[in-house]
Amino acid sequence: MPSFVNPALFWTLGLPTLGVVAIPVLIHLINMMRHRRIEWAAMEFLLLSQKKHRTWIIFKQLLLLLLRMLAVAAVVFLVAQPRLRSQWGNLLGGVHTHHIVLLDDSYSMSDRWADTAAFTEARKVVEQIGINASREDHPQSFSLLRFSRAALPESAGKPDMLKQPVGKDFSDELESLLGKLDVSQTAAGPMPALQAIGELLGDGAEEQRIVYLISDFRARQWNEPTELRKELLRLGESGVDVRLIDCVDRTRPNLAIVSLSPAEGIRAAGVPWFMDLSVRNYGPTPVREVAVTLGEDGHGRPSVVLAEIPPGKTATERFLVHFPDAGPHDVTARLPGDAVEADNHRCSTVDLPPDVPVLLVDGGFRARDARYLSFALAPGESVRTGVQPQIETPRFLSLKPLADFHAINLANVGRLDSSAVTALEKYVSAGGGLALFLGDRTELKFYNDVLYRDGKGLFPVPLAREEELLVDRLEPAPDVQVERHFIFRVFATEQNPYLHTVIVQRYFALPPGWQPPADSTTRVVARLRNGAPLVVEREFGKGRVVAFLTGAAPVWNNWARNPSFVVAMQDLQAYLARRPAKTQSRTVGSPLELNLNPALYQSNPEVRFDYPEQSGKPSVTVNATKSADGNGMLTASLLDTNVSGFYEVRLTRADGTAETRRYAVNVDPAEGDLTALDGEKLASRLEGVKYRYQQAADFQSTAIELAGYDLGEILLYALILLLVGEQILAWSASYHPAKRHPLVKGNAA
Amino acid sequence: MHDSRKFLRPEAIKRISRLGLRARHIVEGFLSGLHRSPYFGQSIEFRQHREYTHGDDLRYVDWKVWAKQDRYYVKQFEEDTNLRCTLLCDVSASMRYGRGDFNKYEYACTIAASLAYLLLRQQDAVGCVAFDESARMIVPQRTKRNHLNSIIKALELSDPREKTDLYQILRNATESYPRRGMMILVSDLFVEREGLFRGLRLLRSRGHDVMVFHVLDDDELDFPFSGPTRFEGLELAEQLRCNPRALREGYLNSLGEYLEEVRRGCSRHDVDYVLLRTSQPLDAALAAFLSNRLGTRR
Repeated sequence: MPSFVNPALFWTLGLPTLGVVAIPVLIHLINMMRHRRIEWAAMEFLLLSQKKHRTWIIFKQLLLLLLRMLAVAAVVFLVAQPRLRSQWGNLLGGVHTHHIVLLDDSYSMSDRWADTAAFTEARKVVEQIGINASREDHPQSFSLLRFSRAALPESAGKPDMLKQPVGKDFSDELESLLGKLDVSQTAAGPMPALQAIGELLGDGAEEQRIVYLISDFRARQWNEPTELRKELLRLGESGVDVRLIDCVDRTRPNLAIVSLSPAEGIRAAGVPWFMDLSVRNYGPTPVREVAVTLGEDGHGRPSVVLAEIPPGKTATERFLVHFPDAGPHDVTARLPGDAVEADNHRCSTVDLPPDVPVLLVDGGFRARDARYLSFALAPGESVRTGVQPQIETPRFLSLKPLADFHAINLANVGRLDSSAVTALEKYVSAGGGLALFLGDRTELKFYNDVLYRDGKGLFPVPLAREEELLVDRLEPAPDVQVERHFIFRVFATEQNPYLHTVIVQRYFALPPGWQPPADSTTRVVARLRNGAPLVVEREFGKGRVVAFLTGAAPVWNNWARNPSFVVAMQDLQAYLARRPAKTQSRTVGSPLELNLNPALYQSNPEVRFDYPEQSGKPSVTVNATKSADGNGMLTASLLDTNVSGFYEVRLTRADGTAETRRYAVNVDPAEGDLTALDGEKLASRLEGVKYRYQQAADFQSTAIELAGYDLGEILLYALILLLVGEQILAWSASYHPAKRHPLVKGNAA
Repeated sequence: MHDSRKFLRPEAIKRISRLGLRARHIVEGFLSGLHRSPYFGQSIEFRQHREYTHGDDLRYVDWKVWAKQDRYYVKQFEEDTNLRCTLLCDVSASMRYGRGDFNKYEYACTIAASLAYLLLRQQDAVGCVAFDESARMIVPQRTKRNHLNSIIKALELSDPREKTDLYQILRNATESYPRRGMMILVSDLFVEREGLFRGLRLLRSRGHDVMVFHVLDDDELDFPFSGPTRFEGLELAEQLRCNPRALREGYLNSLGEYLEEVRRGCSRHDVDYVLLRTSQPLDAALAAFLSNRLGTRR
């Protein structure tokens, strides 16, 4: 017994359907009643013809009637779309059907136009699939997996529905589930969902599988779909029927805030500092006068206006922020509404210290060099720089922890003991910044053998000897010539006369002809008038080292008495302290991991994660455990970070004090690129893959193929044959004026 | 077609209600279309001389004039005739069929009247027999111009009946017109073939020159009907309910065989046979007649 894609048409109109088939008979009967009456002279020939052809005529007429009835019946069946599910149907392919819906819920699916959105269209399609499956009375099952769930480590690809048997009430159940679903803020792609099918459902040899990939097919994911193509090919080879259903009709313009982060510089309470805001234009035309609304700790502040953003480009604007108090502070930015809302908002949090501690180590008893540095970094109470210099002797390095210092400066230190060198190397490797100023106490051999160590140590260059920069009164060039570098950025952008008045008398020269190895990160930042390097830098581990080959105090030079010294030293500390960890933006969907120092906390301390307020999610409390890395740290993590906003972590230290940390979690701005591929472009990128592509708007019940063998094609061919046969028969049984009987010329002889 | 012939088409002639006027219109129209004069021929009464032109029959050269004037003249005489023609016109019920401008009866009467007018104009003697199951009216042969009215009156019969035995009718006609002449039968010939051929053979055996004008309607020749139809016989009592499209082929085959049989039968008995459609121009019969006359003279 066949079932029907449109059973209502067939069964609701049950008896009328039979009536439709009987239409040719009715027409015949009506015609019989409406016959004409003709008084005829040549009855003899008519009767003769009737007598001769009676049997053949009746046979032909019956055959014609039958063909017409069959043609009408075929049309009715064709519209109702019958499917054969008997044993014969099974032989032709109609077995248990498993509908596997992979639903894209990445935030680009919130793309809205008119009174609908991509995800609304996707929901309609899923509903339609469910409705059609529930109409079938042979075994059907249904699985639904959202992209975001497949991608999240927390859900580990757990579907919303897994092999749910489809019953009569299934469509209501599905509708209820879909009502609860909404677009996530993730940028999850189709790959994890496709991979999850195989892992969750096995080979499925006993069932017929239809995979519906309902997505917006953005160019970002499908432009070079090498892996996706492989996965789809694998599905096709295993006999899975793949349907790609596109929920967007075209690409719409969209703006996205791609970055909101603190600029370089010292950030501390009461000190103004800069933040960078970047907005990308994913549209095809330039946009002008884009006003971005800003907020500081929930309070509004003057907007930033980006004059013009060319198509496909990013524009960056820098703005000043100032928080008088120490502690975590929030900065938010919001764009005016457009096609996608999720990327119009971005947040950033900065944990401001009261001051930035900077360690100044001086080898001299009076710490003369360090004092000059300290004065440059913190001139006095009335001028607040946010830097808190701390002058110590070299012994401090081996005795105290260095991790809390944002930067360490060694000024005219002769030599260090090995534990101090090790502590410094560890500090810099971990991302710390170190500045070294030389001087009369500098021991050349120690620097070359221990600190430089053939390029393996902290010091960037080997030293040859102390040298005096000869005075050349005929040479108008300044003694110090700087490269383009962060430390000297103030002097690079304008003609600053202060640096030109710096006089250098003594310095340490490098071995003649020495050049850094090709793979080295060593770089000369400033040179003397004679070309000898004066300031050099190198990277060491995660941190960086800057070496000044002259002294900090105004003994070998007069720089410390020059106003440019203050500016350069401030920027030097900012440069050294630019460690990324504390201001790094976190992305929705990536776990929020905490590393805790076991010294400060009890063993397995409770860590409470509070979700952003607008999410309405309850807090999650976990116990921190020992890190599997073996670094001795305690770790705690929150896997479900599907919502953007400010996450708060509450801890209790071993000493009983409460600690609050704040994290900004933002959407992946790349998902805001709404460039979509149409069917043709998709086909060119998925060459060789067997699939069917449909627009969600076109996805109607007629387009859905249910399980069982589709009789539609057979019926269509049968209908064509019937109509051709009917036409031939009707032609042979009818009168055609063009053909005249050869014997009846009818002209006068 | 000559220009004058357009006035001889049935749709044009239909507008002329009186049969006498129709006949005159047709004959005059037909004759005006011919570019030769049929009025001069062999007779007793001399009319005029005409100078000899190449192609004239040498028998008509007046040698006396040549002897006197040394010029060739031919003699022309007033046409006279001894032709005695009888029109045998079928007015039976089957002749009443027709969906065009004329039914077969009207067409046959118009032909008969036209021929009578033509013959009377040439001062031939014309008689007429209107028949269905028997000879309903017999008009004797006369040469007077006003004799046409008698013929027309004989053709206008009411209450037609079916024709039965054509042989008997033709035999009666031979008895009514014992002198040799021309017999023109105008009918749809829906009769028993044996009787028809016997009758024609009888006419020929009595020395008559016989012409048959077989008048059939377009519908009878083409059978263009479609849709459920009930055919009721005009002469036969039979009825037939059928789909005409299905029977057309067989009908046309039977009709074709019948027409062929009639044509052969006429040919066998040296009878001139002309099949006429009621949609054909009405001068067709006159053309056939004159062609026959010329052929007979030669």
